[in-house]
Amino acid sequence: MRASAPTTLRLALVFAAVAFAPCPARAAADFPPADMVLIPAGVYSPLLRTKDEPARVDVPAFLLDTRPVTNAELLAFVRAHPQWRRSRVSPLFADRGYLGHWAGDLELGPGAPADAPVVRLSWFAARAFAKAAGKRLPTTAEWERAAAAGFSSPDGATEPGFSAYVLGWLSRPTPAVFPAAGSGRPNIHGARDLHGLVWEWVDDFNTAMTTGESRADSGLERNLFCGAGAASARDVTDYAAFMRAGLRSSLRANYAVPNLGFRCARTLPAPAADPGAQ
Amino acid sequence: MKTLPSLLRTRAVLAAAVAATLAVTAPVRLVAAAPAPAPAEKPAAAACCPAPETTAAAKVADAPAACCTAAEAKAAAVAAPAPDAKPSCCAEAPPPAAPVGDRSIYQLDATWTNDAAAPVKLVSFRGQPVVVAMIFAQCEYACPVLVNDLKRLRAALPPASRELARFALVSFDTARDTPAALRTFRRRMELDERWTLLRGDTDAVAELAMLLGVKYKADARGQFAHSNLLTILDAGGEIVHQLAGLNSDVSETARVLARLLAPGIAHSSR
Repeated sequence: MRASAPTTLRLALVFAAVAFAPCPARAAADFPPADMVLIPAGVYSPLLRTKDEPARVDVPAFLLDTRPVTNAELLAFVRAHPQWRRSRVSPLFADRGYLGHWAGDLELGPGAPADAPVVRLSWFAARAFAKAAGKRLPTTAEWERAAAAGFSSPDGATEPGFSAYVLGWLSRPTPAVFPAAGSGRPNIHGARDLHGLVWEWVDDFNTAMTTGESRADSGLERNLFCGAGAASARDVTDYAAFMRAGLRSSLRANYAVPNLGFRCARTLPAPAADPGAQ
Repeated sequence: MKTLPSLLRTRAVLAAAVAATLAVTAPVRLVAAAPAPAPAEKPAAAACCPAPETTAAAKVADAPAACCTAAEAKAAAVAAPAPDAKPSCCAEAPPPAAPVGDRSIYQLDATWTNDAAAPVKLVSFRGQPVVVAMIFAQCEYACPVLVNDLKRLRAALPPASRELARFALVSFDTARDTPAALRTFRRRMELDERWTLLRGDTDAVAELAMLLGVKYKADARGQFAHSNLLTILDAGGEIVHQLAGLNSDVSETARVLARLLAPGIAHSSR
């Protein structure tokens, strides 16, 4: 028997609501979180590697903060975790320069605008912040994968003007006071300020095993490192990547560096969602 | 026109200069620092062994110690014991330990597992110097040499110190170095009870490696590329000496270790 017109209309409305509503598997408000972007699965080519290491590393999709962590955010963290305040932190976990640009333990002052990226904090402090936020630091592969993207294409190296933009930033001295984090132009994934603002901690910075001693070698010093071999660079023209590799090699985990900040990452919740590689 | 490399040097020089400056203040040096409160204070045994003059009720209300319940403590206080009599619940409680120094590696509070599958905290080494290295059991190249270097170090000690020297080997290989794998390693390397073999979770391993300054990276074959470093921790857990490389000359390291072990020898010879 044919359904009556009002029933058909109701059915049609229900159908429309179901068909065009957001997919119930992803509550729209939750994913990705407002302060993070999804970096799709892809491949990372390490700049420096030995012949035993793969030339290309698969990087699964993950979430990355849109911008670096700010002074204000770190202030809230140290309020809640007093052992990370400047006057109380163990020198093992943060050196003497820790949060030196702040006016006090709980006071930012003119040298540390609230929305500027926080710098002068150690790897231990960055990890503690990330853990408290339910996040973690990105790995080198994840960070480099996100940073390889251009503003309008997935590969910044082939995007006209992108390399010049990055090198232009490297050629300028560090400002005394940083501009707001997140004010830079978003890359194609929506992440901002991966270039152009501060260097950023990665979770496994100590995997960069160059000795940095140009007189001794141009690769890995065999006696110092197990598993060493001749390292070859992927792309000798990627100066910014050399800068980052050099910086990471020189860091120790308790260093507080005036132009080194961080942002957080998060592993995608299971089941691993992979909208597709780019 | 400035050449590109010279433009790049501005930022690189700044970063390198800062890093170099900071290297002077790296924790390998024993620099007196402002005291910081110790993390994770042990539960105070005093909370359940109140002195008669203290307000025991208040102490009991705040934080009953692990060794006795609030009720027991309250009863003990009410009974007003003589000053030197302690409630029975506290009979086994150890005196609260002094906090570790703020440069001590023992601030790392992680729980490790040894090759007997027992839990171990690094702070248990406190009170004696210990030589630490990071290895992994499947290591094909450097780790056996590194262990041999540690044995050469021990052999280079004066005879009286050799018995006191303690060694800790911590594995990077969180996936494969189970207690059983470490036991096999111990047998293969012929390590006696002066050697402790430890495994832990990835966070603990990463943090310890960072504190010691050990670099490591897993490669595609499941081997780890890693720096070869042996570290002497003093009785308080502070780094006092490190030796990098393999087949190195251990004589200076042995001198440092012998000096640290000397108080133990003096004490035991009384």
